[in-house]
Amino acid sequence: MTTLKRVFPAVALSSALLLAATLAVAASATRYLHVKVTNPTTHELVRVNVPLTLAEKVIPAINHGELRDGKVHIGNLNADKVNVRAILDALKTAPEGEFVTVQNLGNDVRVAKEHGQVVVHVIDKDSKENVDVTVPWDVVEALVSDTTEDQLNVEAAVKALENVGDTTLVRVSGHEENVRVWVDSRNTDTE
Amino acid sequence: MIFIAKLGIGVLGTALVGAAALSSEGFIYVNVQEKHPGGTHVNVLVPAALVPTTLHFIPRHHFGAAPHDLRTVLPIIDAAIPALNDCPDGLLVEVVDPGEHVLVSKRAGAIVVDVNDPDETVHVSVPLSAAQSAIHQIAEATPAD
Repeated sequence: MTTLKRVFPAVALSSALLLAATLAVAASATRYLHVKVTNPTTHELVRVNVPLTLAEKVIPAINHGELRDGKVHIGNLNADKVNVRAILDALKTAPEGEFVTVQNLGNDVRVAKEHGQVVVHVIDKDSKENVDVTVPWDVVEALVSDTTEDQLNVEAAVKALENVGDTTLVRVSGHEENVRVWVDSRNTDTE
Repeated sequence: MIFIAKLGIGVLGTALVGAAALSSEGFIYVNVQEKHPGGTHVNVLVPAALVPTTLHFIPRHHFGAAPHDLRTVLPIIDAAIPALNDCPDGLLVEVVDPGEHVLVSKRAGAIVVDVNDPDETVHVSVPLSAAQSAIHQIAEATPAD
């Protein structure tokens, strides 16, 4: 009985810690895809917070238009006699760095592989708009997995997003609108 | 005296079970407040469990094209509602423009919509399970019913 009394606080403390840890893990398990569109001129704001688990279940159920069975048909992806997978394989093994830089009067485009991510940076000189797209490599691979050459596997990409760290996928900054699309574990859009 | 006591317990028990059954699926809550002077204030709280029963009494022709339209999106609704139910509570959509503020959130098993515009404020809360069963019931209705 004395042993029990002596051990009880330790057991209670361990149980409480275990419970707290379980709750913390459960609470942080849900990953969110956030979209935020703001217009600094009109002060309009649109915020969307989508739990990735929700997107994962809903996307395969949509069979409408170009989206079927979790895959979206992209007409322009059909690169004539260009093997997209071969290019992706080459990119995967390529060293980190810049792949393409196009500079002309209208815009500057830069495509690079940085820290295991494909980074696309576009500056539209006419509209003074900056577009930054960052896609983790696992997501790129998921997008083209189990697809024909003119499809993107959205369902697989969403699943892959669940396993990447907190990251900004798209950021568009311009005079009229700012757009940010990102993934994290918070159900609010705090940055 | 004992008979009256037993009867009382029976009535009370039935009332409690009835109330529990009615509230088992939560409540649909609608609150509309018009902002102009003398504006209408509507406050409705309905047990969600009543919705399927009520739908049985609505003549099918009042549903119009809704059954057909809903049938096409039923797989999406059946995937989305249980998944949404499993998600933690939180804000799903917010739209702000100079004249209007719209919030759509998930709270305690219900989808909650709040609209605040210059004319009125609207608050609607619908339990997800009730929404799913009502949508099914409307989708499965045919003109011949």
